[in-house]
Amino acid sequence: MTLIRIAAFLFACSLPAASFAADSDGLVLPRGFTATVVHDGVGLARHIAIRDNGDLYVTTHQFAFLGFDARKRVGIVALRDSNGDHLPDVVEHFSDLDGTGIAIYKGMLYVSDDVGVYRYRFDGNELLPKQPAETVVGGFPAERTHADKTFTFDNDGHLYVNVGAPSNSCQEQDRAQGSMGQNPCPLLEHYGGIWRFDADRINQTPKDGTRYSTGMRNTIALAWNNDVNALYATIHGRDQLDTIFPKLFTADDNAERVAEEFQRIVEGGDYGWPYAYYDTKLKARVVAPEYGGDGKKRAEAGKYPEPLVAFPAHWAPDDMVFYAGKNFPASYAGGAFIAFHGSWNRAPRPQAGYRVAFVPMKNGTPSGEWQTFADNFTGGALPDNNPNKARTRPVGLAVDSAGALYIVDSEKGRIWRVTYGGS
Amino acid sequence: MRTLHVASATLGIACLTACASQPASHAHADRGQAAYESNCLACHQADGTGVRGFQPALVGSDWVRGDPKVLATFVLTGGFDSAGRKLSANENVMPPFSHLDDATLAAALTYVRMKFGDQASAVSAEEVAAARAQLPPAH
Repeated sequence: MTLIRIAAFLFACSLPAASFAADSDGLVLPRGFTATVVHDGVGLARHIAIRDNGDLYVTTHQFAFLGFDARKRVGIVALRDSNGDHLPDVVEHFSDLDGTGIAIYKGMLYVSDDVGVYRYRFDGNELLPKQPAETVVGGFPAERTHADKTFTFDNDGHLYVNVGAPSNSCQEQDRAQGSMGQNPCPLLEHYGGIWRFDADRINQTPKDGTRYSTGMRNTIALAWNNDVNALYATIHGRDQLDTIFPKLFTADDNAERVAEEFQRIVEGGDYGWPYAYYDTKLKARVVAPEYGGDGKKRAEAGKYPEPLVAFPAHWAPDDMVFYAGKNFPASYAGGAFIAFHGSWNRAPRPQAGYRVAFVPMKNGTPSGEWQTFADNFTGGALPDNNPNKARTRPVGLAVDSAGALYIVDSEKGRIWRVTYGGS
Repeated sequence: MRTLHVASATLGIACLTACASQPASHAHADRGQAAYESNCLACHQADGTGVRGFQPALVGSDWVRGDPKVLATFVLTGGFDSAGRKLSANENVMPPFSHLDDATLAAALTYVRMKFGDQASAVSAEEVAAARAQLPPAH
């Protein structure tokens, strides 16, 4: 377990100026909300968790660390504010974890990478855990595609892990033009769904889990809804309709049609991948072309749940959180914030997404149209229409005990704290 | 006078050559760009820098700048060499492009090398055909 202390240097370089707050760092928010930069960039960040004492923990992916020795893994970044201004004055990092998932559960810090879920115990109020990580679930097969084992918890001692499918659409040959789908798709036995584990037991393996739901291509954004005691997720839809089946689909079809689906996840539920996808224009679930679809043929009625919200194609929902804080207006209570990392597979059409959306909810069901909550992360149109050139991209979300919403950017690792009423 | 004649004759030949080849190379370049846009751009993006974490950049790639036959084999097989060894692994796999005909693939690769490969040499349909004739087993 490597432990690298970099606090003084990092903080000296990155203390946000007061002017950031005045203009919300260029982010566009609803009236009355303000975004404050609490850190200018911790590296290639992913998700964020907030401990009861207010300490922030952020996962990073892909080793490189802006402004630091790129050969050193960043691992988990820990940020502490000692004087109550919500601007961290201690920033350190620990662990060699290269992954996304992170959450506090029963006072412990749970994290995940591509092959497992781990946890750190705290002895007291220390920022950095003193003990090495315990493995909660280990031994997922190493995959390159859709490998992030993001997770959430219920209130009954269960851990829910996203096991994404290492495939776009379960073709005989992944992403190859004209290659048909494997039927039945053999990947669904061990991938493409949510697996449930014991949240409190260490040293579990994948076979200790039970498949909770299936037909989910990749589901990075998972959250437990305490209002109705149920699992919710926003699922990534399939890519490349037009390049795989150019006779059936245009670039516009690919850019616009396949929904990113906000769903309530029920035990035993099948959400359709790879056999079907939800078409945003037809507002119907249709058979995937790999399985005989032509862009119009409807999937078997009633077989797959309708999405609660069909978000635009390729927006890449990468985190979600239900708002249970007190700071925001009452209309936000119980609703879902969803971080859309933004598209790559809309090219040659303009890339899109790159925002935090809000779904108002009552009793676990959307109670109105979804809205864009935070926008302009890219700072205008993307140069060369390339996601790599976005100024920032939202990827992680969390709510603190004061009810402020934290948003994490993946490009620099910028972290914003969004409050209402200028508090 | 004599010098002038030689010079103008040379110029004339140069112009003839350039004028004759220009329309053909433009057509080749246009075809290459069209082939890039319909087969490669979705993943590698218009500027050839790929998408971090998903698809690699063509800009700066040694395969793009290197031996045309190795490059053609790479693209025909989806990332393998002629001995069947996997050369590159990224988050998203590159599918094989063996369904493209020799001339189309040659035009696409020429476009990629001109635009993203430091003006590396053009790839001919013959070079693609030669690579196709020696694909590893199972490709």
